[in-house]
Amino acid sequence: MKIHVTGYGLISSIGTNAEESIESLRNLQTGIERGKSEATKAYNLGAIHLSNDELKKRFDLKTDGSRTALLGMVAAKQAFEGHELSENIRTGLISGTSVGGMDISEVEYKKYLDQDGHNPENYKHHSSGTSSDQIANELGISHFVNTISTACSSAANALMMGARMINNGMLDRVVVGGTDSLTLFTISGFKSLMIFDEDWCRPFDDSRKGLNLGEGAGYIVIESEKSLEISKKQPLALLSGYSNASDAFHQTASSPDGHGAKLSMTEALRVANIKPDEIDYINAHGTATPNNDLSESQAIQSIFKDRIPPFSSTKSYTGHTLAASGGIEAVFAILALQNGYLYPNLNFKTPISETGLVPQTTFEEGKEIRHVLSNSFGFGGNNSTIILSAT
Amino acid sequence: MSELKETLKAQIIEQLNLEDLTVADIADDAPLFGEGLGLDSIDALEFIVLLEQNYGIKIADPSEGKEIFQSVDSLAAYIEKNQ
Amino acid sequence: MYFIHTIASISHQDSFQVPNVFERLEKLGDDSDIISPNYKEYVPPTALRRLGPVLRMGLTASIECRNNVDADFDAISVGTALGCLKDTEKFLVTIHTTTSDFLSPTAFIQSTHNTIGGQISLGLKNHAYNMTHTQNNLSFEVALIDAIMCVNEGKQNVLVGAADEKIDFLAQAQPDLIPDTHPLTSGASFFVISPTKGSTGIGVRDVHTNFNATNIAKDIQDFLSKNKLTTDDIDVILSSNEQPFSDKQETLNYLDYSGMHYSAPAFALHLAHDYLLSKGKKFALIVNDMCPGRLGLTLVEKQ
Repeated sequence: MKIHVTGYGLISSIGTNAEESIESLRNLQTGIERGKSEATKAYNLGAIHLSNDELKKRFDLKTDGSRTALLGMVAAKQAFEGHELSENIRTGLISGTSVGGMDISEVEYKKYLDQDGHNPENYKHHSSGTSSDQIANELGISHFVNTISTACSSAANALMMGARMINNGMLDRVVVGGTDSLTLFTISGFKSLMIFDEDWCRPFDDSRKGLNLGEGAGYIVIESEKSLEISKKQPLALLSGYSNASDAFHQTASSPDGHGAKLSMTEALRVANIKPDEIDYINAHGTATPNNDLSESQAIQSIFKDRIPPFSSTKSYTGHTLAASGGIEAVFAILALQNGYLYPNLNFKTPISETGLVPQTTFEEGKEIRHVLSNSFGFGGNNSTIILSAT
Repeated sequence: MSELKETLKAQIIEQLNLEDLTVADIADDAPLFGEGLGLDSIDALEFIVLLEQNYGIKIADPSEGKEIFQSVDSLAAYIEKNQ
Repeated sequence: MYFIHTIASISHQDSFQVPNVFERLEKLGDDSDIISPNYKEYVPPTALRRLGPVLRMGLTASIECRNNVDADFDAISVGTALGCLKDTEKFLVTIHTTTSDFLSPTAFIQSTHNTIGGQISLGLKNHAYNMTHTQNNLSFEVALIDAIMCVNEGKQNVLVGAADEKIDFLAQAQPDLIPDTHPLTSGASFFVISPTKGSTGIGVRDVHTNFNATNIAKDIQDFLSKNKLTTDDIDVILSSNEQPFSDKQETLNYLDYSGMHYSAPAFALHLAHDYLLSKGKKFALIVNDMCPGRLGLTLVEKQ
């Protein structure tokens, strides 16, 4: 069964919608910069410079929620713009997040520790499931809501589950993607793992030191043929391949030979029923950690052999937006299919010595892009691959 | 030096939550990573925290840890040198 | 039908490795605690030392399930509403109280919801599909829907379960977070489901969720009628509240036995299974309305 994409929306440090994002991508304009507050000034981050109140005002958000939920509402609303609810189209929302409402909870918990104005009411936003409820509420979707929490592969897994629920006849149309806001919790967490780059991150570069965190949200709308007949929406792309596999190597590190990544890419190609040489662009997970980029490169070489398509990580633009990354990058993939874009891997100089691979370094448009492969790999060895194709 | 090593062993057990081990179970020269105790990269980071918290020694680059954390002997030697 | 081949539950009941959980079931008081198996028999010390309660329970129950079947799992689907609370709280304390530049990372990496699923794949060296669902009181139902899709897609040996843990702090946030009067507890229940009939012939026939439930009785009627049944066909109703649905069926409130945590519906499936098995009955219905307006219905059948 064909899974049609009929909408997309995103917000990140490089833009609050697709048009702004394309401008940044075209102009090689990264959203990563030094943090501005006391808590963030030691880090390079892809932050969105809009407060929660500004988000609510600017995007006319009616539902209250954590920053994660609000960012999700912005992107999901964009994606669902012009879609109408109908009792003949069973519509769901599946959202990925790793922090949920932690942006509020961590502030409240400090008040608890300091015994200073602690208000347990505020934990009502904490649960990841609740952030999805809030996003669904903003869109008026009430038939089915789910939240996937598999760290950095969450949004990609949400896309996969949405497609499978359509294939299994359980839903007709699903808003799928992910959202995560910057939190002290995650900033401290990645700091404790010592995998930050103190400078601007360098995906796939031999000198890469680590990642820069980012925040954002990205969602797409997928529909069955039956739903399309009723909604009469114009298909923008096809969600043709998807897969999830476990690396089972280590809690946080990827296997050196990229075993899990190989499994997920191979299976996604099988689901899409296309050969590796039909992929025109790979949007890599490419976090710029020494471990991921080597592991992912090995996996790419193993599958694509001597016909490696143009590939890049867009994380030196947006930062690593954790659970949102698969959703944001799915939107980038769709824009690439529609406009023939190839995105550069910013801040690259020297290929990784073990592989010699050179990513795409310029922004191009008008290329023939029929199939895009997008990787998202999460902690716990959770490896996911999505393939989006031209209609 | 041997007092430092005994203290170190107790600190390692606590920091890494090695519930079933006693100080007597850890030989001075036993490999801590890979075989031996079977510690991993997360434990290496915990060692960095341990060194900073208890001895004021900062290791900024985790890859430096490989040499230093090989055994209690090498750890103790590093601490003596850098305190 | 999605046949259940094995079950493993760790809870505040004596529920682990017992042929009929009803034999040792007791209504929970306020002071109950997890009745843990000997985790050391299941998990090597280098892994066990890092595992908080929900991780120990989830991993051990899954290993027990693996020990009871012949083949590796070809898909794993885990539900958890609040994830690894102990490690989450521990890391929150760390970040708010440590002045140093160096923070202990262990609690952070153990705090993500999918650590449960991740530890299972790591512990069993399993490379299959591995998903973690978190949707408050319907976390298990959604995990089950995913597992059902896996079987529909050709998988033969699917691990599905749910786990949640309580921490003392939860009671502080309780009135606002979890509106209920049962004692807060922890629990993990895991199952292996398959398209092929198992030794008991018991399985899940269907699962239904309603995120905008306003009339539970009507939802139940529609759900059963979709499965060509009426409430008369149901032998036992396992519900998350006190109200009996009719005079005809036996009803029990599973929260009396699991205590209050959002993965309780998984324990309810264990109860339903053992009920049908021990009493030779045919149909059980699990009703989950722990959160107002968010309804889960699971139909369990013995063939």
